[in-house]
Amino acid sequence: MAPSTYRGNLTMLFFQSLISGLLTGGVYALAGIGMSLVFGVMNVSNFAHGDLMMLGMYMAYFAFTLLHIDPYLSLVLIMPVAFMFGYFLEKVFINRVIHHPHQNQILLTIGLGLIMSNSTLLAFTSDPRILTTSYSSSSFNIFNDISVSIPLLLSFLITCGITAILYLFLARSRTGMALRATSQNREAAQLMGINVSRMSAIAFGLGTALAATAGALIAPTYYIHPLAGHSFLLKAFTICVLGGLGSVVGATVGGLIIGVVESMSSTYISTDWKDVVVFALFLAVLLFRPQGLFGKKGGQ
Amino acid sequence: MKKMLLSIASAVLLCLPLSANAAKPVKIGFINSITGKEAQIGENLTNGVTMAVEDMTAKGFSITLIKEDDGGDPKNALAAYEKLVTRDGVIGVVGPYTSGCANVVASRADQYNVPLLVPAAAKEEITMKGYKNVFRLNAPANVYSLVLMKAVAAYKPKTIAYVYAATDFGVSTVKTAQENAVAMGLKEVANEKYQQGQPDYRATLSKVKAANPDLVFLVSYDADAILLMRQAKEIGLTPKAFLGAGAGYTTAQFAQQKEISNLVVSATQWTDDVNWPGAADFGKRYKAKFGKEPSYHAACAYEAMRIMIESASKSDNSAKLRTVLKGGSWNGILGPVKFADYSGFTNQNNHPMLVQQLQNGAYETVFPAQFSKKQLIYPFRR
Repeated sequence: MAPSTYRGNLTMLFFQSLISGLLTGGVYALAGIGMSLVFGVMNVSNFAHGDLMMLGMYMAYFAFTLLHIDPYLSLVLIMPVAFMFGYFLEKVFINRVIHHPHQNQILLTIGLGLIMSNSTLLAFTSDPRILTTSYSSSSFNIFNDISVSIPLLLSFLITCGITAILYLFLARSRTGMALRATSQNREAAQLMGINVSRMSAIAFGLGTALAATAGALIAPTYYIHPLAGHSFLLKAFTICVLGGLGSVVGATVGGLIIGVVESMSSTYISTDWKDVVVFALFLAVLLFRPQGLFGKKGGQ
Repeated sequence: MKKMLLSIASAVLLCLPLSANAAKPVKIGFINSITGKEAQIGENLTNGVTMAVEDMTAKGFSITLIKEDDGGDPKNALAAYEKLVTRDGVIGVVGPYTSGCANVVASRADQYNVPLLVPAAAKEEITMKGYKNVFRLNAPANVYSLVLMKAVAAYKPKTIAYVYAATDFGVSTVKTAQENAVAMGLKEVANEKYQQGQPDYRATLSKVKAANPDLVFLVSYDADAILLMRQAKEIGLTPKAFLGAGAGYTTAQFAQQKEISNLVVSATQWTDDVNWPGAADFGKRYKAKFGKEPSYHAACAYEAMRIMIESASKSDNSAKLRTVLKGGSWNGILGPVKFADYSGFTNQNNHPMLVQQLQNGAYETVFPAQFSKKQLIYPFRR
C-alpha cells in the first residue's frame, strides 16, 4: 500500500468515525433530553424511559407495516399519542410518588418499565422485527470515501429540529416558562400561581413523546425487540448525568459526546472497549464536575 | 355382583405392576433460553422439542417433560439444572442452548450424576473436560470455522478479518478460526470483538474496510447479523467472501433481507435439503406446524430430545441412562449419531457440518460436495 493512500485511509477512518458517531449521538441525545426534562421538572429519575423508547419503535414499526406510513412521517402520529400516554402515566402513577424518596420512584418506574416490556414480549413475541424501508441500508459518499447513512442523517436532522423547537418552547412560551419555573423551584412556582401538578404531567408527557420519537427515529436502522429499550436506558441515564441532570442543552451535548467517544474508541482502541472508555469518561466528569457539564451547582 | 367386582379388582391389581412398568412416564428436563437476548433462537429449540415429544408420544413412549427457562443467563441455567435434578427428580436433561449456559451446567453434571445432552451449544470446552455425564449432539465451534475455510480454500484467499460478538460462542469460534487460518496460511488483518445490541457498528466496519481483507469472518446472534450486514453495505465493505459462523447468519429472517444477505456463506449443523433420513420430512412438518422454516437449532433440539426419550425409556435411573447414551448409536435427521471420545473430546458426536450460501433468498447447501446440489458463488458481489 502506497504511503499516500495509507494516509488517505487514516483520514477517511477518522472522519468516518466522527460522522457516524455524531449522527448516532444525535439519537442518543434525543433519548437523553426526554429523561433530563422529566428529572428537571419533577425530580424523578424515569427508569421506564428505555421501555417508552421501545414502545416508540413498535409504533413506528406498525405504522409502517399496517398503515404503510413512512417511519419518519409517522412521528406526526406517534408524538401526540406518546404525549397522551405519558400524561396519563403521570396522572395515574407517577403523581403519587412525586414527594416520596427517590428509591420509591425508581421502583415504580422500573416496575412500569417491566410491565411494558413484558406485555410487549407477550403480545409480539421475542422475534426481533426489522423495519426495512427502501432506504434502510442506503448511503451517499462525501469527500470521495466517507459514507453517510441516509436514514441516520434524516434522524439526526429531525432530532436537531425537535431540539430547536423544544428549546424555543421552553424559552419563549408561557407553558415553557412555567415548566422552567417549576424546575427551578417547585414551591415558589406554586406560590406564584403555577399549576405545578399540571406542569409535571406536561413534562412527563413531553419526556414520553421524546423517548418514543427517539425510538421511532432509530427503528429504521436498528431492530425492534421488547427488550431493546434496556441498552438505551443506561445510555440515556449516562447522558443525563454527563450533561447535568435537568439540563436540555447538557443532554444534547452529552448525547453527541457519547456518540463520538463510542465511535472513536471503537476505531482507535477496540470495539470491545468502547463502553469502558465511555464510562471512564463518565466517571472523570463526575469526579471533576459532580453536577455534570451543564448542571447547576448545588443541584441534585 | 360382589364376586364379579372382586374378580375385576383382583385382575386389575394383577395387571398393575406390568402396565405400570410400561406406562410409567420417563421424566426428562429441558433447559432453554425462552426469554432474554437469545429468546428468538430459543423458540426454535422449544419448537423442535415439542415436535420430538409429540412424535415419540405417537410412537407409544410416555414422557413427562419439565421445561425451565434460563433467560440466557448461566446462573439461571445452573439453578434450573439443580432444580430439575434435586426437586423434580428427572433422569436426564436436554439443553441449555447457549454456550455460556451449557458450559456452566456441564461443569456440575458429574456432581449430580444426571446426564446432560447438549443439543446446539458450540463452545469446545463443554465436552473437553472429560465429564462423564455431558453428551453433545452438535459439532463444536472449531468445526464451524474449519468447514467454512475448507469451502473457500480452493479460491486461495490471502487475508482474513474477524468481527464477532463478545460471547462464549463468538470468542471460542474465533479462537479456533485463528488456528485454522494460520494452518491455511491466511494473514489476520483485523480482529474486532463487539458488545451485542449496539446501534452503530460503522466505525468498527470502517476499520475492517481499511484493512481490505479477502475474507470477513463473522460470529453474531440473530438481529445483530442483519445490523452488521446493513452497515457493511452502507460503508461499502466488499470482501471476496463473508463467512458467517452459524447463529444469526442462518435464520429465515436473515434470508429475507435479500438486499444485504445475498451470497453470504454460513456454516450450519443442518439443512432440510441434506440427505439424512427424515430431514426433508421434518422440514415440511415443521413449516406446516409453526409457519416458518426450521433452523438447525430446531433440528438439533428435535434429535437431542428424541435420543433422550428413546434412551431414557430403556433406563430406570441416571446411571443406566449414561450407559445407554454412551453405548448407543442413532441415525435420524442429523445423520449418524454416536457419542465418542476423540481428539480431546469426551462423549462428543462427530457431526459433519454443512456450508450453505444464500442465493436469491434461499439457503443452498454448497459444501461438502456429497451433500450439496449447488456451487459456491465466489467472489462476493453486491
